Amino acid sequence: MKTQQELLQKVQEIVSQCDRCGACLTVCPLYGAKDVESSSARGKNNLALGLLLGVVKPTPEVQEAMNFCLLCRTCVDNCPTKVQTDEAMMAVRQYMADTGGNVSLEYKVLGSLMKNRLMVRLSSGALGVMRKIGVNKLIPYGVVPCEFTRDEYTAAFAGPMALGAPVDRPAISVSADTKVAYFRGCGMEMMFPDAANRTREILSSITNPQFVDNTCCGLLHIAHGMQEDFYKMAKENIRLFENADVVVTDCASCSSTLKHFGKYFADDPEWKDRAEAFSKKIMDLTEYLVKVGYKPKQKTQATLTFHEPCHLGRGQGIRTQPRELLKAAGNYVEMKDADVCCGGAGSFHIDYPEIAGSLLDKKRINIENTHADIVVTECPTCLVQMNKAAELSGGKFKVMHISQVL
Amino acid sequence: MVTEEIKNNLRAIVGKEYVLDSEIDRFGYSYDSSFVSIADKKQPEVIVRPATTAEVSAVMKLANANGIAVTPRGTSSGRTGGSIPLEGGIALSLTRMDKILELDEKNMMVQVEAGVRTIDLYNHCAEKGLFYPPDPASWKYSTLGGNIAENAGGMRAVKYGVTNNYVMGLEVVLANGDVINTGGKAIKNVTGYNMTQLFVGSEGTLGVVTKILLRLIPMPKARNTIQLMFPSLDSACDTIHDMLQSGVVPAAAELMDKTSLQAVARHRKLDIDSSIAACVVIEIDGEDNAALDKQANKIQEIANKHDVKEVRVAGSFKESEDIWAIRRGLSSAIGAMAPNRFGEDISVPRDAFPDMIRRIRKISEKYDLTIAVYGHAGDGNLHPSVLCDMSNPDHAGKVHHAIAEIFDEALAVGGTLSGEHGIGITKKSYLVKALGEAGVNAHKAIKQALDPKGILNPGKIWEN
Repeated sequence: MKTQQELLQKVQEIVSQCDRCGACLTVCPLYGAKDVESSSARGKNNLALGLLLGVVKPTPEVQEAMNFCLLCRTCVDNCPTKVQTDEAMMAVRQYMADTGGNVSLEYKVLGSLMKNRLMVRLSSGALGVMRKIGVNKLIPYGVVPCEFTRDEYTAAFAGPMALGAPVDRPAISVSADTKVAYFRGCGMEMMFPDAANRTREILSSITNPQFVDNTCCGLLHIAHGMQEDFYKMAKENIRLFENADVVVTDCASCSSTLKHFGKYFADDPEWKDRAEAFSKKIMDLTEYLVKVGYKPKQKTQATLTFHEPCHLGRGQGIRTQPRELLKAAGNYVEMKDADVCCGGAGSFHIDYPEIAGSLLDKKRINIENTHADIVVTECPTCLVQMNKAAELSGGKFKVMHISQVL
Repeated sequence: MVTEEIKNNLRAIVGKEYVLDSEIDRFGYSYDSSFVSIADKKQPEVIVRPATTAEVSAVMKLANANGIAVTPRGTSSGRTGGSIPLEGGIALSLTRMDKILELDEKNMMVQVEAGVRTIDLYNHCAEKGLFYPPDPASWKYSTLGGNIAENAGGMRAVKYGVTNNYVMGLEVVLANGDVINTGGKAIKNVTGYNMTQLFVGSEGTLGVVTKILLRLIPMPKARNTIQLMFPSLDSACDTIHDMLQSGVVPAAAELMDKTSLQAVARHRKLDIDSSIAACVVIEIDGEDNAALDKQANKIQEIANKHDVKEVRVAGSFKESEDIWAIRRGLSSAIGAMAPNRFGEDISVPRDAFPDMIRRIRKISEKYDLTIAVYGHAGDGNLHPSVLCDMSNPDHAGKVHHAIAEIFDEALAVGGTLSGEHGIGITKKSYLVKALGEAGVNAHKAIKQALDPKGILNPGKIWEN
């Protein structure tokens, strides 16, 4: 837990590094959609600095500006001084929540839902039912997205007649005593159960994975001013995985968040080492699969393209692994601006449907231009957005999680 | 004072959504990339975002009639406070005027609106094999309107000159809303005063530039990079002078002093030999690789005469990029060395470059302040960076004196206050020293003639 003083200090350290040069203006996806200063990283960092200097008052308008950030790190990548705008925004949100500003009701509801494992499972079941009876089409913002399953995919692209050349499966080089565990993400579990099951199958085909009844990674909570929940769940997760050597997850947001635990607990003498050890065990699914030499079961004739989640590419530097796997799984085509945020960004697409929609439009056009059959990604929020894009394109492409095509 | 009635008029001109006056927007349009503090509370009363020359003209007519200050701006990446609306009024953002209007390949000219980003113009022309050389460090996000206002330079100035060397004509909206066109596509043109060059570098104080006609040259076909390490500043500078006199004109020749090298070494975790006192990075370009080899050999020969310690000729595009990454990352690496940094932009005759650096060293010792120096050694433009901690009361006064002395020394060696950033707010108190009373009065007379009510970017360039 960070005290208000520590939060302010963190914000101060980050935003005072901003030289106000404007390099972030041309790359920020939100500035691209709404080109006023407060949309950009420079605008938000200086609003935060203004708050610290007392020249900006903490109005709801300012709080709103701080929420208007995808946390996609495109600015960080392009910043000459690498100002960590995403971290500053999360710390400001926490500070404002702690000092009388409110965490909006919607984050509270989502936050408490995801804290509760039983609720995650129940809602997963409920979504399945909704999908079956077709109610999902009636619920806005893609809260209940479609899911194109592995079975549907193989039926469409890998039927006996359409089967591409089988891929040789070399021996996988994991030492027999490496203890691998699966970290189940809430978003995957609730919205894309077929994909989560596929991940489990893949892991089981390679090793003898532990399936742990973990709790939420806490990204939503730390991003929206609910640090108390975040730290509580983080400690629980650290404890739960103490027996594993490697923890694999198929959600880019989870893996990226879990890899940062070491940093979040850096000032906590009791938890520092355990958190650091935990973070070092985390592997994203594709990172793990490439590491162990996994080859897709078959190469289909489907044309595949990849939408790179912010938390995978910029968040963890994982860029080549998913592409390498997809090249072995089908005809891979790279789309333009594959690493540009789709506008999903956790709950951003629910808060700002119009802006998220305009980002998604650009993404959809880039996908359509590849003429791909399937757009593949590795994050449940991205999957929700991709599903909306698929629908808007009139079914020109399908959407799948990467574990479903390997 | 911008009344609600005037705001309504502005809304009628540019459209409701392009007039901003909320608290956070007024704050957001109050700063630039200079060291003027964001706490100085110089906020515009309203931000107006026109899309056409006609809209700019209508806004100016309204502002002029009501005596409202207008501060034009692009992406506000300037370094001297040029786009800070010192007297409130209207912040006139031109970023919606972002169209490349015509690429005339036969005449090798391009016409753009003021809000086009420098890099977008460069890429657009490069596709046709044409080259727009000015490359200010901010070229990825600066706008051409801003480049004109500050007469932006860049690393290629030594061979290709700066922005003003490429401006053929302008469309300018005057303070009273009149629209004038200066220059044109004719290469020879003495029809009246050279109004085009009057507006270049005028920092938005004489008119609002809305369209720009630029000259282009053919794109060089081959490029390469050479990095040279020298045991002394003089050996580095002598090499550059001999090179230029021998007829080898590099596309860029950048110098970093020892303090800058230490900053880079720290930032990038590199080991740099302690006997090295200066590093020079050179870009060469030409017709083909044979032409590049010839230049590289000549440079190496000259550098050897001046005791060069290390010569690295890039073997690949990637290696070139690696070398330039060090130079491009320098400003940030230096910035990371202290809580505050005051970057300056003096320009001196090329042969005074080493002398000027020595003078800065003395100032650094006198005030016990770290001053890193790097710059465009090929054209005499240096960027001394005074590193300090402004929360230390002892530093605040010292920094002010040190900077004043740097300016004095620059003038003493026959140089000037600014090479490429302009005067803006941060250097205006030194202007009289550089230009003399009569020189400043001539400026004021021009200003008075074109903007009698003084509404365009008031409070800039000279002290009132």
